[in-house]
Amino acid sequence: MVSLSVILPLILTVSLPISISPESQRLFDRVEAIPDGSTILLTFDYYPSTLAETEPMSVAALRHCWRKDLKIVTLSTVGLGGPNIADRVMATLAEEFDKNYGIDYVNLGYKANYQAVLLGLGQSIRSIYPTDYYGTPLDSLPMMTDFDTYDGFDFIYIISDNGIVDYWVGLVNARYGAEMGAGVTAVMAPKFYAYVRADQLIGLLGGMKGAAEYEYLVEAEGMATSGMVAQSMVHMTIIAFIIIGNISYFATRRRNVS
Amino acid sequence: MSADFVQFIELSIAGFLTLCIFSFLYKDNPFYRLAEHIYAGLSAGYYVGLIWNSVIVQQLWIPITRNGEFMLIIPGILGLLMFTRLSQNLSFVSRVSIAFVMGNTAGISIMQQLHGYVLPQVADTMAGLAVGTDNWYSLAGAWVIFIGVISTLIYFYFSKEHKGVLGVTARVGIVFIMISFGAHFGYTVMGRVSLLIGRMQFLMRDWLHLIN
Repeated sequence: MVSLSVILPLILTVSLPISISPESQRLFDRVEAIPDGSTILLTFDYYPSTLAETEPMSVAALRHCWRKDLKIVTLSTVGLGGPNIADRVMATLAEEFDKNYGIDYVNLGYKANYQAVLLGLGQSIRSIYPTDYYGTPLDSLPMMTDFDTYDGFDFIYIISDNGIVDYWVGLVNARYGAEMGAGVTAVMAPKFYAYVRADQLIGLLGGMKGAAEYEYLVEAEGMATSGMVAQSMVHMTIIAFIIIGNISYFATRRRNVS
Repeated sequence: MSADFVQFIELSIAGFLTLCIFSFLYKDNPFYRLAEHIYAGLSAGYYVGLIWNSVIVQQLWIPITRNGEFMLIIPGILGLLMFTRLSQNLSFVSRVSIAFVMGNTAGISIMQQLHGYVLPQVADTMAGLAVGTDNWYSLAGAWVIFIGVISTLIYFYFSKEHKGVLGVTARVGIVFIMISFGAHFGYTVMGRVSLLIGRMQFLMRDWLHLIN
């Protein structure tokens, strides 16, 4: 039943309305308010195993940023997947938006020991990343010549499937005052709503639903939007099974008592 | 070989391995174990190469040999000391490295937890409790969170028996904990279903081209 609930909506391409949560709207509004030509840091802090939730967020975020002509620096604190995914996703969208590497975007890649990386970037980006993902010295990339710390970024957009968000907030936001928002997997989302409430995060995208909301906001419906109908169908199926299970349990108990 | 053919082969391998993993839904079988072992081996091999290149080569070897940053020899030696754990007689030497790592991690984590989590969250829990600070909806929300935090903390206070006012408050705390568990469970279901949807989209769209 669960498989059918997933497969049928994908084949039939049914669509359902998407309601926007205040957290997604706040994140969208903040990015929308960044002046054109500014530079932001967009992270790919996720493994390939969570691509279904996180990649649509990255794609939607990139579309939003490049429609506004923002410059993007990207990095990953996850070695397995992150930098390669960033490379693939950014190269694909760069072609669509006619963006050039080194001028409009830079991929810094991965460095081990995320705590040292996050703290070190606040002192000198070059000390942590003397070269980019491809081994090119940062000073030879035109868009990297003007800044060397978090001060150069108007916003930090974290896409993550792990607890690194705690460190972005606890080390970078708390110590350097860098403004940030996040897109995280559904499993992690409940914990991070507290950060939004305390204004430590500007906004939050939670799982595939959050990704679908952002796709709707940037008017570029993609993988998350197409998956949300299947998501709703599976939830209805699970709810139906819970109700049937409870009715069955109480009916059996009543029969046994009588 | 054309690029399309190579891509088809790559997608077919990924599709086959996905089906191998799904076969565990029936029962444990050789196809599942094959995929599992390939995944574990590939991940381990890739990670070793990644750490070798990004840490040993880029952060140790190149800075020392090209830039003359000889201070990095010290962390290099600390790293090597970790290998003394392989010897029963010399393993005590590795405690120097472990002590450094523990001290470093504790120092960073305490700062991160205190300034990034505890203080801002406590401050926010107190914020907005006074009448007239915001609209009635925010005010009610602030009080719900305040009561939830206090009652949950009291539920985890074990130095006095949960009777009387303390017992009632702890029971209120249980309600908040249950709501929290429910929210986490709901989101976890959504996360797991999302992964299934992602795999189905891969199989049906990218591999078999059954959907657009």
